[in-house]
Amino acid sequence: MKTLSRLFGPLFAVLALVGFLSLGTSRLVAADGTNSVKASTEAVAASSHGHSHDGHAEGHGEGKSLLREIGLRYLTAYMFCLSICVGALFLVLIHHLFDASWSVPIRRVNEQLASLLFPWMLILLAPILALQQFIYPWLTIDPATDHSLAVKRALFNTGSFNVLLPVLVASWGWIAHTFRKWSIAQDKDGAAIWTRKARVLAAGGIFYFSITLTLVCFYLMKSLQHQFFSTMYGVYYFAGSVWTTLITVWVLVLWLRSTGPLKNVIHKRQIQDVGVWFFAFTVFYAYIHFSQYFLIWNAAIPEETFWYVNREAGGWKWVGFTILFGHFVVPFLVLLNQDVKLNPAIMFPMCGWAWLMHFVDMTFNVMPTYGPLKDGPQVSFWDPLFWFGMAGFLGFMFLRNFRAAAPYPLRDPRLKEAVTHHEVPAPGAAAHH
Amino acid sequence: MSNSSSRPHGLLAEFETPAAVMDAAILCRDAGFSKWDVYTPFPIHGMDEAMGLRKSPVGWFTFAGGCTGFFTGMTMIWFMNKFDYPLVVGGKPLFTPLFAFPVSYEMTILLGAFGTLFGMLFLNRLPRLHNPLLRVERFKRASNDRFFICIEAADSKYASEATRQFLAETCHATAVEYVEE
Repeated sequence: MKTLSRLFGPLFAVLALVGFLSLGTSRLVAADGTNSVKASTEAVAASSHGHSHDGHAEGHGEGKSLLREIGLRYLTAYMFCLSICVGALFLVLIHHLFDASWSVPIRRVNEQLASLLFPWMLILLAPILALQQFIYPWLTIDPATDHSLAVKRALFNTGSFNVLLPVLVASWGWIAHTFRKWSIAQDKDGAAIWTRKARVLAAGGIFYFSITLTLVCFYLMKSLQHQFFSTMYGVYYFAGSVWTTLITVWVLVLWLRSTGPLKNVIHKRQIQDVGVWFFAFTVFYAYIHFSQYFLIWNAAIPEETFWYVNREAGGWKWVGFTILFGHFVVPFLVLLNQDVKLNPAIMFPMCGWAWLMHFVDMTFNVMPTYGPLKDGPQVSFWDPLFWFGMAGFLGFMFLRNFRAAAPYPLRDPRLKEAVTHHEVPAPGAAAHH
Repeated sequence: MSNSSSRPHGLLAEFETPAAVMDAAILCRDAGFSKWDVYTPFPIHGMDEAMGLRKSPVGWFTFAGGCTGFFTGMTMIWFMNKFDYPLVVGGKPLFTPLFAFPVSYEMTILLGAFGTLFGMLFLNRLPRLHNPLLRVERFKRASNDRFFICIEAADSKYASEATRQFLAETCHATAVEYVEE
């Protein structure tokens, strides 16, 4: 009970702060909001009659305002940063599920990344909740006038959006903090019970994680065009997220090894395995995104095709090709060779490239709903501001948390297996016989 | 048995533990032998490095097989649907890489796997119907509980007495046996 109250105390405090910020900001911007909301309401209502592609294309172009633009660009950066946190949470879940030994030395890095979910990702959610009326046209539509909203109102209604979304993000934070807490407790007493408890939490957590990740993606990104259907959407976001997380972890681990904290526990095996995993997710992402595209293309149902038709208009077509080649073909061919996965000269630039590609992918999901489609993608100074600002802030908090605890699980029962791994002396080094 | 030929095949050294054969493999590698091999009942992690084996080139066969498969799939569907017998299906274009992709992808995997399998057989000079080691009684335990190193007589550093001494004394083999071709 004591732990519960200790946990729920900050949770409620942050939720209250988020709510307060959201309410306050929405009051402030209410005056500016009326026009754009009205415009987008009419546009979407008009487009949902005929389901014509032109209707959609023109419809979303009309709801333009500075706050809408800021909201959408902020959302893009938020989705990017959320990716790395949920990706790291997934890596911790998978570690415990498979009772892995190889990833023990990198687990603390993942635990710390995932722990950014609370309170920081929850607090960073506040501006999205505050600007919700500008970002999400469906929030201002009367379901009676929009069939597709009416049939989805179980999920898409103001109440669930404002309650469920922050609660889900907070619940991930709770899971991440629990893993980290137990892991740090084990640093002190070395008891196996912490590993067993983590395994139980991971077994339930993986189901909870996969269902809620889909829900959060539906709320935050898919509902930008609420008429769209895709059951693969959550998996699509998940695949790109873990992909970005893995290369980030690769770089972080190598950096932490060369600067000291992980010096004696990271071996070729960990570096290679994270690299191989990154390669696997390069293919998995392509497989999932192709499947989503291909099924929609093949079925050719207007309720689904409009989403990609929007994204083939104007310059967006070239963004799509950039994702095809930059997110899959080029990394795939580069990573085919197994030595590449151990080579910082290739993997460090690859990390920057993967970050860029994932950001482009998030932009591809979010930004076509803003501005006339024929204008294509518009880069604004808000993009680097939100992206680097948010990532920089989270990076700072990560380092602060990382310093506050041991850099790896000091007394994990499987640590020894992971760090004493078949090290064979190189030719000429066997003189001890 | 020995009237067919008395040419030497090499020297077979027996070890009792994976650690012992691993240490011996490192010594053989550092002694500069080239035509030798290790036989164990199960894979031993790190043995590739201990033997000083370079990275297997079999990946290139996989890559070549995969590329062949991908382009065969694309060309096949283009030829059948657009060129040889144009047929509109579901109002889709006669050819687009989109619907040809699943088939090309499966072809990539199939021919990639063929490339791997046949490339491996080719590089290992397999199938091979007989190996002189199979005549050796003690070698039967290579599939059960013993670990072996065989240095072949064809190796340029092979010298029957010196090599026997190296295996028995330097490498601490529990037994060293001469094997005829």
